[in-house]
Amino acid sequence: MSTSTPDTEDSGRIERWVTRAIYRPERLYRVLFYVAVFGFLFGTLFPFYWLFVIAVTPRELLGTVGLTPQAFHWQSFVEVFEVVPFHMYVANSIMLAFGTTAIVLVVASLAGYVFGRLEFPGRRPLLLVVLAISYFPPAAFFVPLYRLFAGNISLFGISSPNVLNTPAALLPPFTALFMPLAIFILTTFYAQIPDGLEDAARIEGTTRLGALVRVIIPLSAPGVATVAVLTFIYVYNEFFFSFLMTTGEYTDWSPLVYGIRNYQTQYTQLYNLMGAASLIGVLPVAILVAFAQEKIVSGLTAGALKE
Amino acid sequence: MSTEPTSPDAASETGRRSGPIASLLQWIEGLSEPQFAYLLLGPVFLILSFVAFWPLASTFEMSLHANSLTEPLGEFVGLDQYVRILTGEKVLIRPLFDLDYPLQSAIVVTFLFTVVTVVFETIIGFGQALVLDRSFRGRRFVRVAIILPWAVPIVIQGMIFYLMFDPSVGFASQPLQQLGILADQPLNDSASSLLIVIVADIWKTSAFMALLILAGLQSVDRDLYDVAKVAGASRWQRFRQVTLPLILPAVLVAVLFRTIGAMRVYGLVVASDAGCSTVPTLSCLVVETLLSTNQYATAAAVAFITAVIIGVFVSIYIVRYAQEVV
Repeated sequence: MSTSTPDTEDSGRIERWVTRAIYRPERLYRVLFYVAVFGFLFGTLFPFYWLFVIAVTPRELLGTVGLTPQAFHWQSFVEVFEVVPFHMYVANSIMLAFGTTAIVLVVASLAGYVFGRLEFPGRRPLLLVVLAISYFPPAAFFVPLYRLFAGNISLFGISSPNVLNTPAALLPPFTALFMPLAIFILTTFYAQIPDGLEDAARIEGTTRLGALVRVIIPLSAPGVATVAVLTFIYVYNEFFFSFLMTTGEYTDWSPLVYGIRNYQTQYTQLYNLMGAASLIGVLPVAILVAFAQEKIVSGLTAGALKE
Repeated sequence: MSTEPTSPDAASETGRRSGPIASLLQWIEGLSEPQFAYLLLGPVFLILSFVAFWPLASTFEMSLHANSLTEPLGEFVGLDQYVRILTGEKVLIRPLFDLDYPLQSAIVVTFLFTVVTVVFETIIGFGQALVLDRSFRGRRFVRVAIILPWAVPIVIQGMIFYLMFDPSVGFASQPLQQLGILADQPLNDSASSLLIVIVADIWKTSAFMALLILAGLQSVDRDLYDVAKVAGASRWQRFRQVTLPLILPAVLVAVLFRTIGAMRVYGLVVASDAGCSTVPTLSCLVVETLLSTNQYATAAAVAFITAVIIGVFVSIYIVRYAQEVV
């Protein structure tokens, strides 16, 4: 600090401030802390603000758009549904996310219970096999699944039905992508339930399945809820299979990816609608994050630390 | 807890029902623990076989054959596809590794993307985690704001950065062009596009790092800080000597996850409108080989090369740094 020449009022003040900061560093840390908080808030929220600015700027002003909106053209948020049936794409995404979540929950709960609570030979290798699935890029799954769903694979002379452009072509790859993480998170949750509770139920005379249904499942509800939230967000976010397994028509179950991409590829000048569509598309997950933040935090941490 | 005899009460419980269900329950009750485990894992592995193991095995089989447009599988050629791709004899849509055109070769692009994003995401995520670990007014709001980018769909993430950097609307390209950082058409230039895609990924995924590191921070025993404080350790010393060693495993796991994710990047490249021809990542190379040249077998081999690169990277990493946490 160049406070060695205290010839002005100002540098005297700085010197006093620095001295105080050295002897009472807590104050300095507080300031630094709030600087960091506002830095992070600005960094994460600014892009959403920019979408808003683009969305409310009328088309004729888009060429000179600045960092603050010059006019408020709220009709963008209506037009976005008229040019492309954007709500249908969002609805498709939400339904596909619910479907995948249901499948993942049932299957991963079974696997999580077995890996988390039972001892059996081959437990660790099988768990590692599940993890290894996540090393492969989605592209490694794509060709066989695409040919299967297009009806090009036959077994014993019966060819597979053509299910492209239906949920049947999207739910299996989504399941494959998110199952490993779900299994790891639920394994952790089931492992944390104390053995004593299950033993008590068994001594009371409950059957093995009875103990599972009446003791273990209710106690693991928070873990199951976490997996549901995470799977929903992941499927809603998914790009690869959403992009390659569908035609782009909302009647063919094309999800949000195409709702947005249609603007980028077909209506290349309608930047304001791109901004509006993006904001609306974020809304469902934004609401979910606001309500389920604790679940998200605990879920990600549990799944990661288990490994 | 293995083969316990059915207790009288359990018998009466199942006895209330009759027919095949009761005898099925009786049978399940008589299974040993490993048998019960395998029974429950049956449906799980059936579904995983259909959605994961079979496609992977089938892709691998395809990679051992020659390309064929008419037949599902061409002539069996063994590892020939791999050899020709790795030696550069087989001309791909973009080279796998070519130092003359570093930003056009898939391995260099993917490696640069992975290293830069993971380093920055770790640093920023660490900072965010330290902020979220303290209690202060408005923490719930700050937490939502920090998590939110992570929940943004990839296609919208791409769109956001497209709208920022496309010269016709974006505010960001002009000043950065004047500084000489971006090219005239940033989304058509490999170096500029790579930079934009990296920034977009850091924006979205730092939160993921932050959440994993936060878990490590919250599991640190608070008493240790008090002990260190009493012993006269400064704030920096407490961080350096207590916090850092204890949360290192969590950081290493977070880095591992992000590395796997970053090496598979595809959607962001397409969604930001940079495109696979401008930023050819490994996943891009697989898809482009598949869709624009229809060389299924070659695409399958590239997909497996990608998985092996990720696998090797991950194994080295686990052996060197993260042994204790796996």
